[in-house]
Amino acid sequence: MSEAKKRSRFFRELNAVITIAARDISLALKTPAMLIMSLAMPIVMMGLLGGSLSQNMAGGLDFDYKQFMMIGMMINMLFMTTTTGISSLVDDHETDFTQEMMVSPVSRVSIVVGKIFGSSFGAIVSMIGTIVVGLFMGITLTPLQQLLIFALSPLMCLSAGAMAMVIIGLIKNKKTANIAVMLITMPQMFLSGAIIPINNSSGFLLWLSRVLPMTYCLDLVRAVVYGGTPEYDSVVLFNPAVTLAAILGLTAVFLIIGTFFFARTEKNR
Amino acid sequence: MHPMIAVEGLVKQYDRAKVTAVKGVSFAVDEGEFFAFLGPNGAGKTTTISILTTTLSMTSGSVAIAGHDVQKEAKRVREKVGIIFQQPSLDQQLTAEENIRFHACLYGMYSYRPAFKLMPAAYRNRVMELAEIVGIRDSLFRSIKKLSVGMQRKLEIIRSLIHTPAVLFLDEPTQGLDAVSRRSLWEYIDNVRKEFGTTVFLTTHYIDEAENVDKVCIINHGEIAECCSPEEMRHSLLRQELILDADDRDALTRELSELGLFHKTKNHIIVPFRDSTAQEIISRLNTKLSLLEIHEPTLEDAYVEYLKQTGGESK
Repeated sequence: MSEAKKRSRFFRELNAVITIAARDISLALKTPAMLIMSLAMPIVMMGLLGGSLSQNMAGGLDFDYKQFMMIGMMINMLFMTTTTGISSLVDDHETDFTQEMMVSPVSRVSIVVGKIFGSSFGAIVSMIGTIVVGLFMGITLTPLQQLLIFALSPLMCLSAGAMAMVIIGLIKNKKTANIAVMLITMPQMFLSGAIIPINNSSGFLLWLSRVLPMTYCLDLVRAVVYGGTPEYDSVVLFNPAVTLAAILGLTAVFLIIGTFFFARTEKNR
Repeated sequence: MHPMIAVEGLVKQYDRAKVTAVKGVSFAVDEGEFFAFLGPNGAGKTTTISILTTTLSMTSGSVAIAGHDVQKEAKRVREKVGIIFQQPSLDQQLTAEENIRFHACLYGMYSYRPAFKLMPAAYRNRVMELAEIVGIRDSLFRSIKKLSVGMQRKLEIIRSLIHTPAVLFLDEPTQGLDAVSRRSLWEYIDNVRKEFGTTVFLTTHYIDEAENVDKVCIINHGEIAECCSPEEMRHSLLRQELILDADDRDALTRELSELGLFHKTKNHIIVPFRDSTAQEIISRLNTKLSLLEIHEPTLEDAYVEYLKQTGGESK
């Protein structure tokens, strides 16, 4: 294949990703209730759950639990909202809109990636909401830290979406999808170290935490926030380069499996 | 030259289904041909169309569209086809224009822009032109939810044609449309065929819509039963009929019996014929006629007759 053809094919796929993502963003903007919920969720998760945890569980730690928990909540919201967004693929399946995407001459991976980035819009809104709630709770991040976290957020959304696709890709009805969202998000919140440190996990729970992309996304963001501080060794689990490699590897694997399941489900309606 | 659609020994067995949906179907459609695929509910029409448009996997056989294998070169096939699904597949939360824009950008015709006004003039003109033809220009920027079923169908037609496909699959496209909309749709599709030489693959329950096709195939119980022109189908399955009457009806029936011509009496006297002409029959009659009509069988008559002969509809 000539270079020009390759480039044209790449831009075509990129345009498809943007188009699919733009549709989801447009739908989100047309549903103010969804945006309000995306902003309200951090109040519940960060303000109430996080606040209660920091008041009752922060004793005996050699780092500031509030900041630890806030980063956990930010990434948790990112994963949770992206997963919920991905589950709208089941709505598209039920209304046959997925068929419209499936007959288009774009790769199935582009369809899935577009859907993930579209779902990420609500996730970014939630993440902003978490930062705002954090401010009210007296937890601050420097502008540089915020910038770095935002720069990493597309990768984390992709990782969250890819993980969600492995399960959502197999589901054909909305009720099951709603249960699946809980099934995907809740274990991640507890096993990845979002709100509870997992330095002492062992056995099956340790193994499970190591195959969840959220574990590495959290660790990477904490490496950014805690870099150069005395708490770094207590909070960060892995070398950031290893963490980044793990995120990329797991995302690629889950994306391939999730896309395969999605395409298979659509082809065997 | 390759046919535009070549299907050879196509089999589809759904998981856990007791009956094979499509059983070794073979047919070909030439470039620019208007092809009708008819059959009762559950005969295998939509299954076949889904395989041809790459949205459903086949169990065995081979299918090529414009020379491209649907399994090995699915993306090339998708570039060549447009489809109107049996069930509407519009995004109900977007406006009519947003649905078209989504499709056009997904097919790589234009780079995505977040508003109609920001799209290239070529896109805006094409959308306006198509909307004018199918009569939805005033509804273009309204939410799909607010459009009637007929309007939504018209929108799907615009959407499927905006990338000028070489093959247009129409899976019961006029379902839910009123008579005026049906007529304007067919006029438009005729124009598209003339202008672009588009091959059209149609499934429909309105058999009269298939009267003017080039080739018709009947599928029943997952098998192709007949594949020929509508004209051939009408004449292979049905006779023409003379509808006669006379003030002295008894004399007319007696005369027909004496001539050995089969006839039946309903409201009028019906004389089916195939080998002789109407002229030959009439010239042998002496009774003064008060009514003389020739009934040409329609494709629908032939289709219904075929289903009767083959044991009725699929379940």
